Amino acid sequence: MNPLAEKYLRKEFLPFLFCPGCGDGMIVQAFLKAVDDLGCIDDLAMTAGIGCSAWIGVYMNVDILKILHGRAIPAAIGLKATRPSRKVVTFTGDGDCLAIGGNHLLHAARRNIDITVVMVNNQIYAMTGGQVAPSTMLGSKTQTTPYGNIEKQLDGCRVAIAAGATMVSRWSTAHLKPLIKAFKTAINHKGFSYLEIISQCPVQTGRYLLGSGSPEFNLQWIKEHCVKEEDPSQWEEIEAQGKIPVGDFLRTERPEFMEEVQRMNRRVKEEQARGGDR
Amino acid sequence: MKAAEKIEIDRRYCKGCMLCRYICPFDVFEPGEQRSDLDYLMPRPARIDNCKVCGLCESNCPDMVLTVVAKEKGKEKE
Repeated sequence: MNPLAEKYLRKEFLPFLFCPGCGDGMIVQAFLKAVDDLGCIDDLAMTAGIGCSAWIGVYMNVDILKILHGRAIPAAIGLKATRPSRKVVTFTGDGDCLAIGGNHLLHAARRNIDITVVMVNNQIYAMTGGQVAPSTMLGSKTQTTPYGNIEKQLDGCRVAIAAGATMVSRWSTAHLKPLIKAFKTAINHKGFSYLEIISQCPVQTGRYLLGSGSPEFNLQWIKEHCVKEEDPSQWEEIEAQGKIPVGDFLRTERPEFMEEVQRMNRRVKEEQARGGDR
Repeated sequence: MKAAEKIEIDRRYCKGCMLCRYICPFDVFEPGEQRSDLDYLMPRPARIDNCKVCGLCESNCPDMVLTVVAKEKGKEKE
């Protein structure tokens, strides 16, 4: 067994419930490597919704809240508001984050609260048997779109940038080194960090969308289709070729929500001590 | 150049996805005949002499079951 697994996993929950060749296990390992390098395992707190990728956090020996489908981000906001010293990380999937929880993503990004949202994108609702998701490619045949998907896919990174996130990255399971680096940046970043990971799902995406259920084929597909391009103005050209731009897209500074709350509280208390009502 | 003493595969949790064979640049693995406790055919580090301990199989293993044990320094040429 991997030394990282020996050190940080909950042995009683093993083996992973992920299918053979699933990218989620690779993400567990990449995240643990980042946490091991930073040495911040005791400061972490996690929330997770529903879906394959929501199980990523459950296997690690960290405090975790498992929440209703799509509500992982509001729970993370609550956790951060009550324990500002904890580094809050949310593992969510494309259905959890963009479909049912899409609204929460917008408002968490708008507030710029200091949480890290890791969105694992496998382009399908995998756990429930391969239905169409907001991130499914145009024209894909899934269980619920047998004649091809006619809806344009929703790009989580564009949404996060537009809503006001201060760190936005997209990497894939074929880019583990930059992914580990992005994890470290996201955990230490003061503000809302959105990290999307293109992950392979051989059993659903592979079989129904790409044409092969082999893990090797799926990882190769990701390797071939993810192109490093950090300039958003070039994305349309890449996407027109059916490829996915990856990279560290955005890193800026903006006042953080919990710091603003504390500043407001101090200001109001001072005003009240002086006799004013606000 | 580093060399591997052994490659351990935890038979309790291996799911036989063969990503180690795909990812290995030195063609160390091949499909084995032994089954893991989860009843999947496990990979076999057949050509372990090729291994340069790059650690790619270890970091790409989705079930975190692989460990590459490097030979101690000075013993590489044995």
